[in-house]
Order: sequence, then structure tokens, then C-alpha cells
Amino acid sequence: MKSPNNHGFSLSKETLRQDFELLTKALNSSTSGIIITDNTQPDNPIIFCNAAFEKISGYTRSEIIGHNCRFLQQQDRAQPARAVIAEAVKEGKECTIEIRNYHKNGNLFWNELYMSPVTDENGAITHFIGIQNDITARKKIELDLQDQKDSMERKIAERTSELRDSEAFLTSIIQTVREGLLVLDRNFKVISANDHFLRTFKVSAQETIGKMLYDLGNGQWNIERLKELLIRILPTNNPVIDFEVAHDFPHIGKKLMLLNAYRIELEGQYKDQILLAIEDITERREIERRKDDFLSIASHELKTPLTTIKGFVQALERMKPANASEKYSQTLQKVALYVDRLNSLITDLLDVSRIQSGNIELHNELFDFDKMVREAVENLQASTGSHQIKIKGTAGTEVLGDEGHIIQVINNLISNAIKYAPNSSEVLVYVSKVSDYVKVSVTDYGLGISAEDQQSVFERFFRGGDIQKRFPGMGIGLYICEQIVKNHDGTIWVESEKGKGSTFSFTLPISREVNNG
Amino acid sequence: MDRKKILICDDDEGITDMLELVLEETGHEIITETNSLNIKSILKEDLPDLILLDLWMPVLSGDQVLKTLRADENTKQLPVIVISASRDGKEIALDAGATDFVAKPFDIDELLHKIEKYLNYNFLKIENKNP
Repeated sequence: MKSPNNHGFSLSKETLRQDFELLTKALNSSTSGIIITDNTQPDNPIIFCNAAFEKISGYTRSEIIGHNCRFLQQQDRAQPARAVIAEAVKEGKECTIEIRNYHKNGNLFWNELYMSPVTDENGAITHFIGIQNDITARKKIELDLQDQKDSMERKIAERTSELRDSEAFLTSIIQTVREGLLVLDRNFKVISANDHFLRTFKVSAQETIGKMLYDLGNGQWNIERLKELLIRILPTNNPVIDFEVAHDFPHIGKKLMLLNAYRIELEGQYKDQILLAIEDITERREIERRKDDFLSIASHELKTPLTTIKGFVQALERMKPANASEKYSQTLQKVALYVDRLNSLITDLLDVSRIQSGNIELHNELFDFDKMVREAVENLQASTGSHQIKIKGTAGTEVLGDEGHIIQVINNLISNAIKYAPNSSEVLVYVSKVSDYVKVSVTDYGLGISAEDQQSVFERFFRGGDIQKRFPGMGIGLYICEQIVKNHDGTIWVESEKGKGSTFSFTLPISREVNNG
Repeated sequence: MDRKKILICDDDEGITDMLELVLEETGHEIITETNSLNIKSILKEDLPDLILLDLWMPVLSGDQVLKTLRADENTKQLPVIVISASRDGKEIALDAGATDFVAKPFDIDELLHKIEKYLNYNFLKIENKNP
């Protein structure tokens, strides 16, 4: 074994010195700070530091040598990294730790310390070597990142909470709505159902949500009409509005439902989901039916004694003594007139009720239009002495429609013409064929209607302001006329000049697509 | 003019009263009945030549009466004029086999005209049946 002290190796001594210098230069050219402490001396003093360490710490070599490393932490002694170092020193182990150090000028810098023990041949620790890197810049980025991450998480938490609030708000609305609401996915699986749906159809959320719509409640939603609606109508991008479906549910009985469906077009997670709103109108329809029944019965019951009165009045007329006074005859006539008026009021009331509930049934048949007008006018002429009703023109065609209803329109228009022209003596009924329509115009030379009132004469229960007191009426005659004409796909309108008279006209298509619905 | 027998059946006494008074002038025999359940026994005793029948009557409605009449060989051809204030009356009556329909309230001339028409019509029918 060669020894460096061996005389024969003087050159080696020189080499050693050169090597040592070289190593020192190497250490000094390192960008990492390097220190060596002597573990054999009390308090483990620093016995070596390189130039990089001086630069990192801001202290000169003379201020470093002989100190324990802890001076680098200044007052920041409590940091957990120090405990790790102390443990490593005690155990004689190497460690890598990030620790907050302080520059001589007091500025903080983050130091990544790699510390490893040096042992002698007996295994005793003689020195510790510490390699230090200033990682402040990296640490700053890391901390910034952490900050950003924290703030992001905070924002997400806030947004989540807002969304949760907003969702809870929307949910509470959906749950409060008095309409069954289902959300379906594109395969008609139920994603959610609101309370009202569950209550109305007496089901639980468990047996509804996540199930296929058509499988719900032993297939009670397997309704042909509903399927048609969802499969055929909805994918055409049209929302389905007020689609009426009647269905007999096994447990809850017959329900009449109004369905509204809407497919979500938005791109994203809700795309192609289907909102299905189910309104239970069973009760409402029942109430409407009862109202109709009531009016029907009331009207029938009112007409029965009216028939008796009318019959007796006619009997009186027939029994009239030959020498009866003019006054006697007129009185009888007037009783008959007012009985008829009462009868038409009762009929009108029933008509309004039927129109409102859409229960007007048209009995469409071909009829001779001119003949119908002629007979209607003759009947009216028979009961009015004050006015001459003149017919001009002809339609010269048969018309497909409900003759009884059209007669009602003509009666109403002519009766109005007589009623609202008390100082004139003529009513003109003009009949014509215009293209594929027949047209009737009824002209009077009476009070006329102000431009303002012309807008409203066809409204239900409308009564022109100035006629209110002078002429009795309920304001339903023209409303009924318009509804009847509309039901025949025709139009009705008025032209009038205040003080000069009015012309009410209507047109009806001669033949049309008959729709008895 | 032959004296014929006319049965008036209406649950409203006002109507039967009035019709009795009005129809007196025709010189025909008038029988009135306000309870439709009694019709059957009346028909058993003596068949009228014509019936004026109301539609809405309690227990046994006019259209039910008509159906039994039309199911019976003896009354199959009997002229029955339904008089009703019900709007759908005409359809119901004709469906049930009424000879004709008159809406309440009616014009007496119209009713008398129809009564005479069917009384004669029935007469011809019976004559044809029994040559």
C-alpha cells in the first residue's frame, strides 16, 4: 500500500496539491453553494464554503466559517425543515429538504439543501457536506401556482354553490308547479319527475326515475297517441303544444291530459332531452261539461213554460172575438212578440255557452242558398210591419253548410237592421256570388256605428255606448254570427257611417273541406 | 171530418193543458197523460190515431217510449210527433223512430198542419193494409 507521505512520492505530493487546487477551483465554479461542516467539533461548525455559497447567502467566507448552519435561518427557527435536518444529523443520514433561508440583507430565499454525512474508516461521522441551490424563483412559481390553484378552487366552490342554489331554486319552482313535469333522455328514459307528476299518477320517485317511460307503472304510459307524439312529431323540431290525450289508467282511472313537449336543441349535456309537461284537465273538462249540462237543462226548463205561454197566446188570438178592439189585438200581438224575444234570448244564451266550450256541431248539407235567404226574409217580414225587407241579387248556387245556423246569422243581421233603424222603413239584403264564395250584405239606413265601436261589435257582451239605454239586448247576437260564419270558414265584417246606416256583410265558401270536429 | 183520437204525453201539465185547449178546435178526441209509464196501459185499451210525445220525461223518456212503440207490430206505423225543447231533440227523435218533430216553442198552425197531415196519412196506410 502506497502512502502519500512516502518520500519516494514527492511528485505525488505535488500532484495532490495540484489536485486539491483543482478541486477547490471546481467547487468554486459550481453554481450550487457547497459547505462542509466538521462534526467532530462542538456545534458542527462550517469549515468550508465555496464562492457560490457566499453569493447565495450574501455573507463573505470570513462571516461563514466557524458558524453553525442555523445562522442562515435567522429568526425563522420554527420551520419543520429544521427538524428534518436535526434528525438527519443525529441519525447520520443524508437528506434533501427545501428550507427557508435568509440572505444577509434579510431577504428570504428558498434553499434546496442536499446534505450527506462523511464517515471515517470506523464509520464515525466526521463531516457533513451540504449542497445548496437557490430555488426561490422555482418556489415562487410553485407558490403562485398553488395560489392560483387555491383561488381557482375557491371560485369553483363559489360557482358550485351558486349553481346549487340556482338549481335548488329551479327545482323548487318545478316542484311547486301544478303540472306534471318529466324530463326524458333521447331514449325516453325518465331523468327526472316532479312532485306533481308523482302525486297525480300516484307513483314514487324510485319507481319512476331511471325507468323507461313506456315501462312505468306496468306500461300505463304505453299510450299509442303519446308514442306517436314523441316518436313522430317531436323530432321534427316542432314543440308539441296542447296535445289532448285521454287514457284510462289502471289504478287512477280515466284521465284527460293536455301534453306539451319540447326537445332541447342546445348543444351539450342536455341536448335531445325531452321536457314533457302533463296537465291533468279531467276535472276542468268535467266542470265544463257540467256547465253545458246545466245551461242545457236550464234552457230546456225555461222553454217548457214558454211553450205553454206561447200556445195559450196563440189560442187567445184564435179565440179573438170578431168585434175585438184594435187595442186588444195589438196587445195580444205584443205578448206574442215578447214571448218570441224571450225564446231567442234563451236560445242565444245556450249558443254562447256552446260556442265557448267549442261544442257547436255543424250539420252540413247542401242547400239552395237563394231559397234559404228568401224564406228567412219572408218569415221576418211576416213579423215586422215597420220595415220593408228587400232582396236584391241572387247567389244561384247550392252551398254546403249548416242551413239552420246560416238562417240564424241572416235573422240576427236583419233583426238588428230593423232594431237599430227605427226611423227608416227599408232594409236591403243583397245576395251575390263572388268567385267561389256567396256573399250576403244587409244594409240599413239607421243609427250607424262609430269607427271605434266597429272594432268591437263582434265581441261577446259588447254593447255600443250610446245604444245601451235605448235598445235592450245582451250583446251576443253578432258574437254568435261571427262564430257561426267562422265555423263555416267564412268572414263577417261591418261598414258603417254614424248617422247614415250600416252594412253587415258575410261570405261563405260554396264548397269546402268539411270538418265536423 | 172523421173524429180521431190524439194522445198527448208530456210530463209538464202546462203543456198538456195548453195543447188540450188548442187541439179542441180540431174536433178530435184528446187524451192527455203526464206520466209516460201509463202509456202502455192506455195503448192496450184503445189505440189512438196519433201521439204527441215529449222527449225529456222522468223515468221513461220519449225516445224509450218510441222504441217500444216501434218494436210492437200494433204501433209500428202509429204516427208519433215528438215535441221537445231540446236542441238535439230532432236527431234523437228521428233516430228513435218518430214520424216528425216539432221544436218547442212551436207555432200552432204548424203543429195543426202536421197533425192533420199524419192523421190522413195514417188513414190511407190502414186502408191499404186492409183492402
